[in-house]
Amino acid sequence: MRHKRTNLETELRANRPRPSDEFVNRLEGRVREGRRSRAGSFRVAFAGSLAAGVLAALASVGGLGYASNATGEAVQKAKRVVKSSHGTAVVRKSPSRDQYGKPKVKKKKKAKKKAKGRAFARPPFTG
Amino acid sequence: MLRVDPLRNPEPLIRRVYGYVAYRIGDGPDAEDITSETFERALRYQKSFDPQKGEPLAWLIGIARRLIEGRPPTLELAIEVPDHSDAGDLEDVTLRRLALSGAVSRLEPRDRDLIALRYGADLTARQIAEELDLRTNAVEVALHRALGRLRAAIEEPGDPPVRKQGTAR
Repeated sequence: MRHKRTNLETELRANRPRPSDEFVNRLEGRVREGRRSRAGSFRVAFAGSLAAGVLAALASVGGLGYASNATGEAVQKAKRVVKSSHGTAVVRKSPSRDQYGKPKVKKKKKAKKKAKGRAFARPPFTG
Repeated sequence: MLRVDPLRNPEPLIRRVYGYVAYRIGDGPDAEDITSETFERALRYQKSFDPQKGEPLAWLIGIARRLIEGRPPTLELAIEVPDHSDAGDLEDVTLRRLALSGAVSRLEPRDRDLIALRYGADLTARQIAEELDLRTNAVEVALHRALGRLRAAIEEPGDPPVRKQGTAR
């Protein structure tokens, strides 16, 4: 009985269905490819978390405010440069201006005040 | 904690998963499909693998079992064993192999599962017990009885062996 059972067990193991080598190679390739792409996404996630860590460290020492100010200034300067390239640039301070002295500042005439109340009207002709 | 990659060396795992699946549903394209799907799922849910709970093979066999159980029953194919008279020039080994596969295919699903786990996937009785949530001793007894029924099926081809009432699950 024992002998018979052992034979059957051996037979079951020996006659175990085997996949074709082609199938095994194909599936193995797919599994390895899948593992590689997962490793790639892990690397991206690692880089992202590293960047987040750096940002957090900067924020804790006020580095972010500094960086944003610098960026704002840079933007302003760039705007100025771009604006001046359009239209006529008026130079207010230059050596040529100094040579001829200070330009006269025209005094603004005061606008006559209109008489308040009724408007003046010529008296009627009586002669 | 360092993550363990269960699919680091896939080749032997593919062979053993295929062995299990083929004993369950028969050798051929269906077994290949289930094996492929098992590994696709394993890749997708790789994070769910817990080395504390068992080895990669047991984890993969668990996936394969669920896939087989979720299959439509119409896809179940019985293995046909050719008659000796038709076998003519076939070698005895091939004939014996077919007879064995045919006998396994005629077993009840529970016996077939046990045989496939033990001799297809080459799991130990302890690993099978963990997979089926049974005691190791109960698995050994159930395996012994399944082998008995398999022997009967080989000796008397045609009629499926019937499980007696009151035997182990």
